[in-house]
Amino acid sequence: MDMGSGYRDAAPMISRRRFLQSAVWAGGAITTGIGSWVIRPEWASAAGPIKVGIATDLTGAAGYAGNADANVAKMVVKDINNAGGILGRPVELFIEDTASNESIAVGNVRKLVQRDKVDVVLGGITSSMRNAIKDVIVTRGKTLYIYPQQYEGRECTSYIFCTGPTPAQQCDDLIPWLIKNGGKRFALPSANYVWPHATNEYVRKIIEKNGGEVIFEEYYPPDQVEYSATVNKIMTNNVDVVFNTVIPPGVGPFFKQLYEAGFGKRGGRLSCIYYDEGALAINAAHEIEGLATCLDYFRVLTKEDPVSARIQAEYDREFPGGALFAAGSAATGMYRGLKLWEAAVKEAGKLDRDAVAGALDHAKIAEGPGGPAEMVSGKHHCKMKMYTAVAKEGNYEIVGRSEGLVDPKAC
Amino acid sequence: MESALNAIFEVLSFGAIIVLVVLGLGIIASMMGIFNFAHGEFVLLGAYTTYLVHGAGLPVWAGMLAAPVVVAACGFVLERLVIRRFYAAPIAAMLGTYALGLVIRESVRGLIGGLYISVPEPIVGSLIIGGVQVSRWRLAIVIITTLVMVGSYLLLTRTSFGLRVRAALENPSLARASGISTNAIYAITFTFGAALAGLAGALVVPVFSLFADLGIRFLIQGFLSVMLGGVGTFEGPVAGGAVIGVMSAALPWAVAPVLADVLVFVLAIVFVKFRPGGLIAGRRF
Repeated sequence: MDMGSGYRDAAPMISRRRFLQSAVWAGGAITTGIGSWVIRPEWASAAGPIKVGIATDLTGAAGYAGNADANVAKMVVKDINNAGGILGRPVELFIEDTASNESIAVGNVRKLVQRDKVDVVLGGITSSMRNAIKDVIVTRGKTLYIYPQQYEGRECTSYIFCTGPTPAQQCDDLIPWLIKNGGKRFALPSANYVWPHATNEYVRKIIEKNGGEVIFEEYYPPDQVEYSATVNKIMTNNVDVVFNTVIPPGVGPFFKQLYEAGFGKRGGRLSCIYYDEGALAINAAHEIEGLATCLDYFRVLTKEDPVSARIQAEYDREFPGGALFAAGSAATGMYRGLKLWEAAVKEAGKLDRDAVAGALDHAKIAEGPGGPAEMVSGKHHCKMKMYTAVAKEGNYEIVGRSEGLVDPKAC
Repeated sequence: MESALNAIFEVLSFGAIIVLVVLGLGIIASMMGIFNFAHGEFVLLGAYTTYLVHGAGLPVWAGMLAAPVVVAACGFVLERLVIRRFYAAPIAAMLGTYALGLVIRESVRGLIGGLYISVPEPIVGSLIIGGVQVSRWRLAIVIITTLVMVGSYLLLTRTSFGLRVRAALENPSLARASGISTNAIYAITFTFGAALAGLAGALVVPVFSLFADLGIRFLIQGFLSVMLGGVGTFEGPVAGGAVIGVMSAALPWAVAPVLADVLVFVLAIVFVKFRPGGLIAGRRF
């Protein structure tokens, strides 16, 4: 999927330090060019390091997510190395920028696979990016690929494993909740590309199964920023729930226009399943009050779950002020992906692709952001806990949680 | 009825936004013969300035006042350093300004971390006029656009400065022979165009939020407007902007939105085919 939700606390304050850091970063990026980083472990072993490749959008439209993913990878790999590595070998991290641009990405990913000969590649934010780089990694590169983002859930290629939530995981609990706490009349305004189309197909089924109805399902150019006609349609048709898959930059103006038209005031319910903590900054808090979403992790969980609290605190300590550790940017999927892969390599006892893929097929982790996770054998996707949350004055409040791990219902 | 009135207001307000963005682009294109591909990024700089000033704890409207000044200063510096070398080569100017735009856009993206950040309106809420919900800030944009448009028009047609600008455009050598420094005139015109872009960015950022690609969408619509309206007059690009803005907002009411997006371009191209000079062609004031 593709969302460019942004990351910033609700108040747009920018500190001098933050400004200088960013300025130095931007300056460096412009003068030296952006490409690859290698993060070497602090110790070595006779067998040499295990090589993990991260291919993610450090720059361009999806940069907010790519940077969070790269940060998570650095954090997890550091932890693995501090705990003695995998199979007695340290992990070396190779990070390539896919630059939110599929044609640049293919070349850079080829470097990871052919030059650096990494043992696994994790990354990709949008589905189009995954489709562009998967062949380079899996078919021609003969390497494992782990895709961490929540997406439309139809990736069933061998040697590809997905660690983000699928539409079934995000919608099976959310839609009944929306019908109960919003109403039966749904509108599905959507950006015109694969993720909204595939998601809506599933969502429509769940809505109808639960006694709701879809008043309209409409697609807009992904960069459309003017939604008065849509807002009017929502208001005149007495829509109860707007299940939104419009993405930035359009989503901000769209929600604002809906608010100004009085949708929230007359009891309408907004819902958007890629909305995480970062996306809250796109609009003023009162414009999206009551927005409901369903993801595998929310920051508010740190109050009740010590594992989530530990991971979140470590991330915030190592990467303060930058891209947030949040579910919508695939940061949680990246954490899960690396840890599941670590478990698989340990079980396989070697790095041979088939052996690791065989172990990854049923890998489990007891601890992760939001809870444990396990791969569903033969399905390439992973079971995880899901949480329904509602925006209240610029923060999320958990209003529902899954009983146990939710099945991805994919492949 | 209410719905129709509502539609009219929404369509008008989006038309006003496009006109506001096109104004500076049109003035630079018409008065200097340069297509400024960095115009969208000047709009972005205006938006970014507003955000910075607001982030520093000052009110939003202070940022909106600062934006045209800051962007004008940037425009002036760029004109002196880079743009003036391109006056003889319009194609190179397109590429040069595109490169400038790219540098500005990616720098801003780095500075804001690729985020989408909301900037509040100075005037919040909505009015109810004749049973129609009207966003106060969108109404303010319509009014400010009208004022700026009239002001720019008077400046270019009724003042001696405007006369010199037109002289420098019409016949640069004769203007120079008559003691007009075309060099200075071009610098001022470009700076003025940049200031208008900065103002546009400042005014629209509460509506669309701040993000690095803010300018791109408007740039394409802006060029379409200039093409449709015709280069060489003040009214041409403005009329073109109004038509494109109104069409972009109005067509989704009538046809499927994905189709509407394409239809705007198709209609504009068909129109230009039959009237190559644009809506208001040939006449220079």
